[in-house]
Amino acid sequence: MRDPDVAQTVSVSNPLAGERARRFETGLSRAGLGLVPRLGRRASDALLARLLRLLADRHPRAFEALRGMPDARVLIEPVDAPVALLMRVGPELSLHALPRGADGVGEAGAADAVVRGPYARLLDLLEGRIDGDALFFRRELSISGDTALILALRNTLDGEEEMDLVADVASIAGPLARVLPVLRRNAGPVLDRIEAARRLLPPPLRRGIERVEARIIGTLPGSGA
Amino acid sequence: MDNFELICPAGTPAALRAAVDAGADAVYLGFRDETNARNFPGLNFTRQDVADAVDYAHARRVEVYVAINTYPQAGNLGPWQKAVDDAARLRVDAVIMADPGLLAYAAKRHPDLRLHLSVQASAANVEAIRLYRDTFGVRRVVLPRVLTVPEIAKLNAEIDIETEVFVFGGLCPMAEGRCSLSSYATGLSPNKQGVCSPANHVRYEQRGGALASTLGGFTINVFGEGEQAGYPTLCKGRFVAGAGAGGAPAYLFEEPTSLNAMDLLPELKAAGVRALKIEGRQRGKAYIAAVVRAYREALESFAAGRPVPHIDLQAMVEGGTQTTGAYTRAWR
Repeated sequence: MRDPDVAQTVSVSNPLAGERARRFETGLSRAGLGLVPRLGRRASDALLARLLRLLADRHPRAFEALRGMPDARVLIEPVDAPVALLMRVGPELSLHALPRGADGVGEAGAADAVVRGPYARLLDLLEGRIDGDALFFRRELSISGDTALILALRNTLDGEEEMDLVADVASIAGPLARVLPVLRRNAGPVLDRIEAARRLLPPPLRRGIERVEARIIGTLPGSGA
Repeated sequence: MDNFELICPAGTPAALRAAVDAGADAVYLGFRDETNARNFPGLNFTRQDVADAVDYAHARRVEVYVAINTYPQAGNLGPWQKAVDDAARLRVDAVIMADPGLLAYAAKRHPDLRLHLSVQASAANVEAIRLYRDTFGVRRVVLPRVLTVPEIAKLNAEIDIETEVFVFGGLCPMAEGRCSLSSYATGLSPNKQGVCSPANHVRYEQRGGALASTLGGFTINVFGEGEQAGYPTLCKGRFVAGAGAGGAPAYLFEEPTSLNAMDLLPELKAAGVRALKIEGRQRGKAYIAAVVRAYREALESFAAGRPVPHIDLQAMVEGGTQTTGAYTRAWR
């Protein structure tokens, strides 16, 4: 039976194709996140500030609550991505991308609390597609520092309806916003066909393709992702 | 034969809509303060949220209950009485309470407001339940999670108000409303401030591959590498028994586990239970949608006389284990 806690996937007629499309979308957004620090600190901060403004417009209730929290910093650290996000909550709400080395984030000391987990699970959690306690019980998510701060952040975001971060990010990327719905409709079946074709390839070639894919989506060596 | 009512939790407006849409008959929630036993950061409802929740639920013929189930502090009755007044004003369908003084206030000031007795009252015998019914007009009692199914059947045979029992979620194995374990460790009470293991007293530490949870500076559990974790509550902590004992820490009261009584629907129906309650106002809307949908499916099968399906909720449970708790426990 299908794991009931597996995040709900984008709406497509074939659930398996939907899950595959969601994985593709997750990989794509992780790759996009990996590119952010390469813009330089000023440009990446400006981009993330724009994203926050857009999210605040779309989710006013949650963002009012985030601004009403005491000033604090939460490091959101995907263990399988080259970048972590430092979110400042409170009146000075902001978001910064920090490069993540093999041994974690150097600036983690600035955070009052840290949430760590696989990128896909963190994205599901931020979008309210999955239950944070269940992830914690299964040890897929680890937290340290100020537990009350993490709980307040989690509950605030989970209380928001229909958060779709991938679509929100795409909407500030111009043409991608128009392409995304088409991608979502078609990515699953197309990826199914690619996967079927891939199974016919000789193993060395298949492994080579997998290495290239890992490089494209920014997977860290040895992260197990 | 009347069908069971399915009573579902909500910690946020989004969770309430998830519960309603997944098939709840009633949703219970709390205000954003110490008047309810899930007074956690970022959780619960403003007065306006409750007004919106009532509109949403009533439009879909779903009821809304408000839990005002902590004990007021002497000399500071205001927040609790205001919670009762506001619940009545906001047209909720019932309030869930434990404190006799507050029940008296509600019965006198709002005679049309339906009163349910919270599990926090720990009313587990005929005399106690009759007292609450006769004195305050309580219409339903939420039974503590310490009774076997035969004991519930015996109780129902002797009382004439509805009973509601927990069927899924976190398990409190203590005398609810009386437990002071968390208070000793943190100075804050689940029964007065609504915080069992308050988050600002909880810390998690990685110790190699192990995960340690601490409460008020006390290490209360260490989960080995790959071992599923549980809530940081003392009743599910590991202890070394005996002064100076050198033994390995072990569970003293209860292991991290979740209640799941889906297989006991026939027995609970035969025992005269009216309503089934899902625990978890602190959980995310994904949990609420999955668990409520599963129980709705099970109840529909049961009502139609079909076998209750086995629906896998393993991914949702604390500590990676499920139990039927006291319902089938042979020892006392």
